Amino acid sequence: MNSTDAELLLTALAGREEAFAELYRRRQGGVYRFALQMTGSVGVAEDVTQETFLTLLTRGSKYDELRGTLGAFLYGIARNVVMRRLERDLWTEPSDEMEELADGSDVLEDLTRRESVEQVRRAVLSLPPVYREVVVLCDLQDASYEDAAQALECPVGTVRSRLNRARGMLARKLRVADRARCMG
Amino acid sequence: MSSEEQVRNALRALAEHDRQEEAPAIVEARVLRGFRQARKQRMLRRVGIWSVAIAAAVVAVLIVSAPKARVEPLHAVREPVVQRFEVVVPESSKPVLATAPRTVRPARREIVTQFFMLTDSTLPLDRGQLLRVRVPASVMYSVGLPVNPDRWTERVDADVVVGEEGMARAIRFVGYEQ
Repeated sequence: MNSTDAELLLTALAGREEAFAELYRRRQGGVYRFALQMTGSVGVAEDVTQETFLTLLTRGSKYDELRGTLGAFLYGIARNVVMRRLERDLWTEPSDEMEELADGSDVLEDLTRRESVEQVRRAVLSLPPVYREVVVLCDLQDASYEDAAQALECPVGTVRSRLNRARGMLARKLRVADRARCMG
Repeated sequence: MSSEEQVRNALRALAEHDRQEEAPAIVEARVLRGFRQARKQRMLRRVGIWSVAIAAAVVAVLIVSAPKARVEPLHAVREPVVQRFEVVVPESSKPVLATAPRTVRPARREIVTQFFMLTDSTLPLDRGQLLRVRVPASVMYSVGLPVNPDRWTERVDADVVVGEEGMARAIRFVGYEQ
């Protein structure tokens, strides 16, 4: 099927399951990876993916093709779901994973033991959410600044400045991790 | 290599590593099940709205063609019927402690919801007629009340307010308390 995302969405909202399934298969990977890279949890990423597409069914009629891509619209929904989840987790018993991330020295020790990709993943996960989301969208998901701005509901300039700041923070974290590895 | 380049390379490596990550098939199955449920709800909602519209049309026709049999103020609340009677006590029997007339509670007492508007009419509604009809429970869902989807086809009593111009203006639902 060569329909655009917007056409598939319209057909899906009219009740055609095959159109919705096609749209899901086309876009689920990006949403799932975004949630996974934002939370570091496979289970949460699955829940976020499911909730994002079900929300699309109720809010999809608000999508305007002229204002941005459907991918950006989906990232916007997924981002809200992730943020709600992260806020909720603040008030619940932290998991082992969260405790590790909360303590910088543990992250440092852990970094010395893991492969470089996992080091980078942990460094990204240890960023504050507002910086993490721009890194995940622009650097890991290859979203354009415009799409990121639409998803995050902020100006493009804000995306750029947050991204610069986030990369600076990551550089410091990775430097510390490298130093620890060399010493170890 | 500058630190910025190092960061970019590191992020590129992570992006490349995760590129094949996808939601498992079970998520797709759950999402498609959700799609079917939502479609069913939308369909029943549409049926509900049509049911109200048809009921309203029937009511309007009845009002126009039949003499007005019953006129009630718009906000009248139906009072439960209380039957009163006296207890006759034979003289030879022992004294009865309680002599006050007894009331018999009706088996079922009506509970009504608030009125839900059916039209956006700007005409004043000082007086109207209240007609009792039976509609599918999905009509309750169509005005935003929570209804178990398994019970959408069950019939419920409802009061439809018909304005003096003959249009169904509002609806409320009637339940019964034992």
